[in-house]
Amino acid sequence: MKLRTEPNVKPRRSHDTERVILFFVSGQMFAIRAEAVQEIRSTDSMAGAATEIETPELPKVRHAVERGHQTYYVVNACLHFHLPISRPALVLILRQLRVAVLVDRIDRMAEISAVYALPQAFAGEERRWYRGLAYLDDTVIPVIDPNGFISPEELAYLDQSRNASTAPNELERALPS
Amino acid sequence: MNAQQNTGQRSFVVLQIGPRRFALPAETVVELAPPVRLHRFPHTSPLLAGVIVRRGRIVPVYDAASLLVGRSSTAQRFYLIARRRADQASDLGAIAVNGECELASGDVLPPAGDRSAWVAGTLALPDDSVEVLDFSALAAFHPANQNESRGAELPS
Repeated sequence: MKLRTEPNVKPRRSHDTERVILFFVSGQMFAIRAEAVQEIRSTDSMAGAATEIETPELPKVRHAVERGHQTYYVVNACLHFHLPISRPALVLILRQLRVAVLVDRIDRMAEISAVYALPQAFAGEERRWYRGLAYLDDTVIPVIDPNGFISPEELAYLDQSRNASTAPNELERALPS
Repeated sequence: MNAQQNTGQRSFVVLQIGPRRFALPAETVVELAPPVRLHRFPHTSPLLAGVIVRRGRIVPVYDAASLLVGRSSTAQRFYLIARRRADQASDLGAIAVNGECELASGDVLPPAGDRSAWVAGTLALPDDSVEVLDFSALAAFHPANQNESRGAELPS
């Protein structure tokens, strides 16, 4: 799907449609490309697999989950979008990224005909957060950029933090009791 | 006023924001839009209240009232859509107004030295004088640049 440079919400032909998952975080609806989501789990089912990590410089990430020999970092979407804290019930595990996202609830799947460019007036963090805007059922919905949850630098910091926190445990296991 | 006198004068749209009136150069104004839904979503850009959808476009809405009269107003239900730069037809922005607008023409006096960056001058009207807004400067205003921190501008 092409990103339009000129925001325009006139109807377009249906062959350009894209499937998205609509979800809520702290009362705000977002859309994410369905193909970008590998799995949706309840927070309860993930609780046992999550380990707490110390990330004072990145408070939106407090847990990591091991899945298929990969470490996924769990992003609290409320903190990521600077929204009031809510009680997340679901985890979106993203595809091709080591990121999982805590969200409140899924609304539904939908098809959008286009992603419209975010107006240039929006010049803050939202330019990293969103691929653009969708217009669905008379509502403008921000379309998430999955890469915007954790930057490569943040990922390196998280790996470093996680290694630092797990190293003593491995050392303890290695030492004779 | 005859046509010759009128030649050197510019046209302005005089609008009401809160208790005050301001003027925008008429050539920058695209339209006065009726009350439509303001769509809000999280962002960190100062002054932006959200977006409206108008004539097939997504138009950012600036919370001009908070800057110009010190507070947002729920009474501002119409939207005055203007170009941020006159040569960029697609670079539109909107400010909420109460719907009472009039066309006026007159001479613009240069702004006083201590005026805000978004004031382009003063328009002398028969019964009043109003500040002429530089919409591009207003849209580009960033509180942090003038040590007028508004705190976390989130979420709209």
